[in-house]
Amino acid sequence: MIDALMTEFLKARRSRVPWVTVLAFTVVSLVGGLFMFILQDQGRARSLGLIGTKAALVGGEADWPTYLSFLAQTTAVGGMIVFGLVEIWVFGREFSQRTAKDLLALPTSRVAIVTAKFAVVALWCLVLSVQLLVLGLVIGTALGLPGWSTGTVLTGLLQIGAVAVMTVLLTTPVAFAASAGRGYLPGVGVLIAAVFCAQIIAALGYGQYFPWSVPALFSGLAGPGQPSPGALGFALVALVGAAGAAGTALWWRSADHDR
Amino acid sequence: MTEPVIVAKGLTKSYGDVTAVDDLSLEISAGEIYALLGLNGAGKTTTIRMLLGMVRPTSGSVTVLGAAVRPGAHAMWSRVGYLVETPAAYPELTVVENLMVAARLRGLRGHRQVDDVITRLRLTRYARNRAGTLSLGNAQRLGLAKALLHQPDLLILDEPANGLDPAGVAEIRSLLVELSLQGVTVVLSSHILTEVARLATRVGVIDQGRLVREIASNHLAEHVRQRLSVSVRDHAAASKALSAAGFHAIRTDGDQILLTDFRAVAEPEHVVTVLVAAGCPPYRLVVEEDDLETFFLRVVGA
Repeated sequence: MIDALMTEFLKARRSRVPWVTVLAFTVVSLVGGLFMFILQDQGRARSLGLIGTKAALVGGEADWPTYLSFLAQTTAVGGMIVFGLVEIWVFGREFSQRTAKDLLALPTSRVAIVTAKFAVVALWCLVLSVQLLVLGLVIGTALGLPGWSTGTVLTGLLQIGAVAVMTVLLTTPVAFAASAGRGYLPGVGVLIAAVFCAQIIAALGYGQYFPWSVPALFSGLAGPGQPSPGALGFALVALVGAAGAAGTALWWRSADHDR
Repeated sequence: MTEPVIVAKGLTKSYGDVTAVDDLSLEISAGEIYALLGLNGAGKTTTIRMLLGMVRPTSGSVTVLGAAVRPGAHAMWSRVGYLVETPAAYPELTVVENLMVAARLRGLRGHRQVDDVITRLRLTRYARNRAGTLSLGNAQRLGLAKALLHQPDLLILDEPANGLDPAGVAEIRSLLVELSLQGVTVVLSSHILTEVARLATRVGVIDQGRLVREIASNHLAEHVRQRLSVSVRDHAAASKALSAAGFHAIRTDGDQILLTDFRAVAEPEHVVTVLVAAGCPPYRLVVEEDDLETFFLRVVGA
């Protein structure tokens, strides 16, 4: 297992993909900061040309709770896309680069290799989430946002962490799609379908029953009138995560690898 | 008697109505170089994938190095090296790093095996190059290096000479013969028929998923048809004289006459005597035999 982990780390470390995801999450933090800067003084933003002369942003105060909530909501949607792409890359590359066959008849079991891949994805996403938190704190402090209290910030950070964990769990079926579909595209297709359906179903008011809508509901993205995900919603997220991981491992172990 | 290295019994693989491999049985002993010979789509690669546990047979069983090949069984693969179809490597990793990945997954520690196999496969110049920049020939060498890294007892190679230049082909042939002499069992598939003839100790001819013939290389000659090719100036007179002497003469284009009788092949001097007596002495006399390609096409009826 350690050997499989080491090889997966090496493969990830030597790729440019981690840097692309770091850049994406940096942009997310900066965009959040930009919104706060504009909300602080829309007249100033207008004079700096950041927004049009007649434009006005609505939807919150320029303070710590709003900013942390924005970061949590971004993690729910942007995280699903970025974490999903990480999952697709880690699994789909073995088929697109035709290296999967070199992982199939080894003294290291296929299940160990799949487990190592999921571990690397989880750690990778954890690093991105920590980066988002740290950058968020730095940017919020630099902007001098009001409303700081240990309780508020701790709640915000925990919410971002919980959303990140749920989002990572919800990407495991994407790994299955990239494996069973033998490449990137099936994974991308499933990812797009999941994000699209999550928006529609949440808007219809049934988000608590659709696992991919749960992180957005939890982060407050769907608005104040939406129901809380509840225990069922969280249980469905855990179930999807476990089913995706188990299905992927089972597929690698037992499917016909004839390509 | 030592236990066979590979035992396949009644291997069948069907995809819907299509039968890729049909009731194929094999038994391969230690130190053999066994070649699977077949046209494209004959079922060679599917057979190799079943031997390696990558594809589950619809029916039948495989035993490799005494262990049954089945999902979840992986201990025996520590003694098996393989290369299936086109070689693949992580393009952003160097040759050394690709080999380190393979070594790690095989539980090997340190650099010794990696350094040894790089030297053995003449990859030293490219060791620090990214695998994505390698030529097809060097990518094939890297694929073979991964297969040989852990000094396996059994090598399963699908088209090992693919992409190599003639010198590389000869080099790999020597390497495989050397390994075989050390007791390593080699199973390979190839479409380079002359290579198979030079390398294999036993040839299995596979057609439409069925193993239609198995021949030990030292018995190959018995299965190869021979004929006497005679070139003469007076074709008509020569044919008449040979027919009168009881030979079955087949006229071909130009001055050539082919005699397929066993007597003509075994005692060509009688043919010469007949032709000289008839006043049309041959100016060329050659015993020809089927090359492996002709032999193969005859065996599979293509």
